[in-house]
Formats: sequence, C-alpha cells, structure tokens
Amino acid sequence: MAPNVSYHCPCLSDSTVPPPPHHLSSSSSFHPLHELFFCEECDAIRCNTCVSVEVSGYYCPNCLFEVPSASVRAEKNRRVLPYLCARNCFLCPCCRNTLSVVPSDPPETDDGRTLPVSAVGEPPFFLYCNYCRWDSAEVDITFEKPTGLAGTCTAQLQKFEDSAPDSLEFERLKEHFEPFLLRAGATSSLNPTTSAHSHHHVNPVTAAASSALARDIPGVAKYTPAQSTSGRRSKGARDEMPEYKARVDASSSKGAGLGGEPDVEFMRRLETVSEVASLEQRWSSSWAVSLRLSDIKPLRMPLHSRKSKRCPSCRHILIKPEQKAQSVRYKIKLVAANYIPAITVSMPAVAERRATLNGQATASAAEASLIQAGRSYPFHLALTNPLYDPVQVRLQVQRQLPAGAPRGADDEGTEKARRPPFAVTLPNTAFPIAAFAEAWEYEDDEDMLDDDEFGPERGAREKDARKNKTVGVLERRANVTIVGGEVLIGKDARGELKFNMLVSYTYRSDDPLAEDDVKATPSRRNVPEMKTFSFCTIVSLGTIVPREESRSVNVDL
Amino acid sequence: MDPPIYYSTAEFIETDTGNKVSRRANISGPQNIILGGKTIIASGAIIRGDLKRAGPGHSVVISLGRYCLVSEGCIVRPPYKTYRGTFNYYPVKIGDHVHIGANTVVEAATIGNYVEIGKNCVIGKFTIIKDCARVADGTVVPPNTVVPALSSFAGSPGRFVGDLPESTQEVVEARTKQHYGRFQPMER
Ligand SMILES: [Zn+2]
Ligand SMILES: [Zn+2]
Ligand SMILES: [Zn+2]
Ligand SMILES: [Zn+2]
Repeated sequence: MAPNVSYHCPCLSDSTVPPPPHHLSSSSSFHPLHELFFCEECDAIRCNTCVSVEVSGYYCPNCLFEVPSASVRAEKNRRVLPYLCARNCFLCPCCRNTLSVVPSDPPETDDGRTLPVSAVGEPPFFLYCNYCRWDSAEVDITFEKPTGLAGTCTAQLQKFEDSAPDSLEFERLKEHFEPFLLRAGATSSLNPTTSAHSHHHVNPVTAAASSALARDIPGVAKYTPAQSTSGRRSKGARDEMPEYKARVDASSSKGAGLGGEPDVEFMRRLETVSEVASLEQRWSSSWAVSLRLSDIKPLRMPLHSRKSKRCPSCRHILIKPEQKAQSVRYKIKLVAANYIPAITVSMPAVAERRATLNGQATASAAEASLIQAGRSYPFHLALTNPLYDPVQVRLQVQRQLPAGAPRGADDEGTEKARRPPFAVTLPNTAFPIAAFAEAWEYEDDEDMLDDDEFGPERGAREKDARKNKTVGVLERRANVTIVGGEVLIGKDARGELKFNMLVSYTYRSDDPLAEDDVKATPSRRNVPEMKTFSFCTIVSLGTIVPREESRSVNVDL
Repeated sequence: MDPPIYYSTAEFIETDTGNKVSRRANISGPQNIILGGKTIIASGAIIRGDLKRAGPGHSVVISLGRYCLVSEGCIVRPPYKTYRGTFNYYPVKIGDHVHIGANTVVEAATIGNYVEIGKNCVIGKFTIIKDCARVADGTVVPPNTVVPALSSFAGSPGRFVGDLPESTQEVVEARTKQHYGRFQPMER
C-alpha cells in the first residue's frame, strides 16, 4: 500500500490517546481526512461511527424517483413494503442486475449479445436480465403492456408475498398478540414512572411469551426477574395468554422451501445442481423462499436514502443534503478538511526506486518490498493549511506504550514486541504554514520561500544546506509546507512501518480586524487570541522486508 | 507531492485549451468529438467519433469535459440500438473531472462530473453514471444500468457496494487537477 496518513476520532474509547498502531483497534479508530466531520460547537473531530444519522429522503437507485418520507411512512401502515420502488424497477433474482422490459419479438440478436430492446413491441412483455439472460416468463410473470408494470408486477409479487405461508403465519401471530400488545401499551402509558425507573419491570408481553415458551418447550426455564414483586404483578397477564395454534404444521407443510417432505422429495429427484436456488438468491427475502430455481421471483428494487448527520454530543447538524434529486450539494457540510491541515506522506528514496523499476509513478506491489530492515530512510510530510490565517504547527511522535498497561517482569518477548522496532525523528520545533488563498498563482515557487528567520546571506546558505537536510522544513510554497523526517529501522524489524503522530497547530481564533479598521483606530489593534488545536494521526510508510528476504529482492532487481 | 509524470513532446499534441492528446491514440471522426480543455487522451486509446447517427453533416458524437483522462488502451464508443426497426448510434456525453482507467471500454450514454472509473471495466451501452460516482477496477456494468450520484459500484455484474463520502467532489476535483499538473513534457 502507498504511504498514507489517517486521522484519529477518539469516539471509540474514553481516552484521547489513540491505540498503538499494532493494536487491532487501531484500524477502526483512524479514518481518511475526507471522511471526517468537524463540530465547531464542540471544537472536535467527528466520524461516521459517532455521528447520529437521520434519513432526509428516499429515492430509487434505478429510476431515481424521489419518494417522500411521508409516503414511505404512509405505505408502512398499508401493508405494502415501503422501502421498495413501486415503479418499473426490478432486480434479477439470479444476479441482482436491473431487469429490462422486453417484448416477445423473435429473438433477432444482432451480434449475439443483447436482444434489441423494444424493436417492434409484440406483447406479451416480460422482464429480462441482459447480464445472465434470466427472464420472467420462466416464472410465469408477463405483461400485456410495457408500461405500468408497477401495478401488474407489484400486485403479482405482493399477492405472492401475502400468500406465502410465512407471511400468513406472521399475520396470524400478530392477531394473536394484538390484545397483549395493546394492554402493554396501556400499562406503560398508565404507569410511566414504573417502567422508566424499575429495571426489573416485566411488561405483560414478555411475561406471556416467556410463560408460553416454558409451557411449549420442556426444559426452558421461565424468565423470572430478580425482584419477586414485579413477578407477582404480571402474574395475571401471563395466565390470560391462550395457546397459539400454528396455521401449518411445519412437518407436514405442502409448500416447498419450508423444509419437510416436499423439499426432501425435490432433492431426491434432482438432476442438476443448477435446479437449486443458491443461498444468495434466497436469503434476502424475509420469508422462506422455494429451493427450486424455477420458482424464484424477480426482486423489487430497494430504495436508497439521503442522510443528514448530527454531532453526537451537541446535536448540531454537520451534514444536511439538498433536497434536489441526485444533487451532490449540501445545505450544511462541516467537514474536517476545512478546519485541520491535510497531511500527505511520501518516501522519496522508495518513490525513486519505484520510478526506475517500472518507469511510471503508479503505485505498484514492488513498492512494498523496497523498505528494508537495518537501514534508515528519509520521509516527507506535506501539510496543507485550509484556514485563511497562517498557522504554526508542531509534530510529535506519540509514544507507543499505553499508560497503565500491566508491565510486570514477564517474558522479554512480549516486551520486545510492544516496543516499535524502529525510531522516528520529526522536526522538533514549530514551523509555519501560510494562509490559504482562493487562487494560488505563483510563477516561481522560489518566491514563496520565507527566509524571515534568517539574515539574507544566511538564508542563501540555508537554501544550499536544505538540499542535504533530512529533518526539518524542506520547502514552503503557497499554503503548503513540506517537512522532512527520518526513520531508522532495526536490524530485526519486520511488519508494518507505522507510527502515531500528534499534530498541534496554533491559529488566531478571533476574527481579525479589517485593515482599514486597524488604521483608523490604532487603539483597537489588540493582540489577537491564539488558540491551539491538537489531533492524532497514524502515519503508514509501508511494509518492512526482513533482512534475509531483502537480500534476495536485491538480487532480483 | 507526487512526482511529475513525464511524457515525450514528440508523442503528445497540446491544444490551445490545454488538451494533451497522444499521437498514438486512435481518434476517428475528430470533427464529431469535443474536448473541454486540460483533458488528456493517452496512447493506445480509441475514440470512435465516426460512429454517428445516420444523416449528413456534423453532429457531436462524443463530448468530454475539462480535466478528464482517457487512459492507455481505453475505448470510448457510442452506444447503439435498433429502435422501430432502425439501427442507430447515440451520442456519449462525459462531464468534467472524469478519469477513466486503462483498458476500460465505455459505451455509456452519460457520465456526470467528478466520476472515477477504474481500469479493465466494461461500461455497458446506455449506462447513466451520475455525479461523484465511482466504479471500481474490473467492474462490468451491464447495459442500461443507472449508477446514482455518490455511489460506489463494483463486481460483475456491477452492483452498488456503498455510499461515498460527502466531500467526494472536492477530493476528485483536487485529484484530477493534480494529475493534469503532474503530466509534464520531457524535453529531449
Ligand atoms: Zn467518531
Ligand atoms: Zn425505481
Ligand atoms: Zn441476471
Ligand atoms: Zn458538537
């Protein structure tokens, strides 16, 4: 993998210090900068794991029709599955490709690849997969007209779904439990304090279900909470639960796919494996689907959602999409990249080797095998300032040993493994990054070199020295500062070369006074307040090749 | 930060608007092709501007926006179908900041802005790819597929595999501009 830098969101632990790089939890605690959000209110980085997500709208990913949330809610009450496209969009039950509506014209294939869609338009029409060539005529779903399939096909599928044994059984269960649910609702609304505060409160439904389970299946103990008082209170409700009689007896069921004799019979007569529908073709349905491939129905298109995101602690909105169909704009978009510096890392020695290897600057597998144990490598960090004010940045390697970890005089091996087998050197003083400006049009990068800290002659000498310098500021242009670091890899090192890096930057926090303002009233030129924000990153440089292997790599090259 | 990608000045023609087209690309019917500017057509790419709707005169067959990249060995070819008994080609419209990986075949109807298509893909006839979508390397997108905005597609057949981050537009814009900046002539 190419060298990269990821950013820490501390939401997964109580500590602000990220886990050491070799811990398994490390990979889930760090994220690419462009996937992170920033809450101005809390002055904190937020990630997709910790933000709270709300659906702000639904759409069909195929016909792109916008389904208002209100109508999704309405359909939920109408026993129609609400999160599916109700228009002409269906998925192939075999390969999940989107199905096309085709007429039953003679199959006049031009080059043997696809049927000419709507060539003449002879009914009946059917749904056809132009990837695996499945068609709905195989399962007796055809249409007289190519339009308005929503009504016909959805009705056909809905009828099928509704008449599925599972679906009928579920309806029956709902009817059976309805009175208990109603009573449960009544109890909790009558007695809200009890249910909120008593941890051991048992609602009548749980009690009834537990009792029924204990009665029907010998050996299953009743769920009895610790407090006997609440148990006594729900006793009445439990006893009122009549026995549930299943609609069909599972062992004697007639429909296929429900287990039992018919499925055994089907498998016994099987001639080819392709007659059996695969697990993948069957498990996306909430009801049991027939084992026979010839029974598999087209799937309706699941809707996609547009999401708003909020800060988990202060509830401020971080992401709010525009309501326009397929828009990639946002009404609110507070992303971390607009607040904290972007950092990229490269290893010039490795990049050069790579370039000479394949003559191209594309990332290749060979790159990974170019970092060898027992050597030292310079690396470059390029930091880009997104703020309209200059910032001062300080970098620090974050120590790997977790505080408070048990550190007994146990075996040396563990201790050794915990210690990183390499040493990283970073610039030890703060360095500036210039402010971001809308248009950077610098004819000559050299103009941007800021030699303020040195006298003119010294600046020139510094420039020469810079060519050989490894650690420190290497280059400054526009709002980018490139600093060099160095990594010394131990002789016996192996594995991933990565370390945690703490980044602190200091910026002016108040709105700077306008230039004319300052001139007009010099008294207002007060010292601006400086603020420091710190965040953690993980810098991955690549994989170390152990010594023995690196020798053979050298021979190959 | 990434090093420049050098090309030979003998191989590439640079237009007034900054398009860089390889002499080793196979461009048929150039009068029917529009390049938006700062777009790179790599060596071995095949662009079929000659496959146009029946009838005399020019018409735009293939249009590409700004900061696009058609990589080595790509084929961009107008989709066709027989409608009411007549065979016809239909135009291809590709937006700004679209990168198409090496050896990918494109027969799409429209590709939006800020779209990244990997290498070795097949983008089937009349496919519609919306803004900020991404198609992974080696994906086979069957004909007539719709790839929604900000979605990631992969596999064969190509299917939705996930949503892309809200800042995809900025990321892709920066990446395509950077790529154009890195693409530098090597003086010989
Ligand atoms: Zn988080
Ligand atoms: Zn739809
Ligand atoms: Zn299929
Ligand atoms: Zn907040």
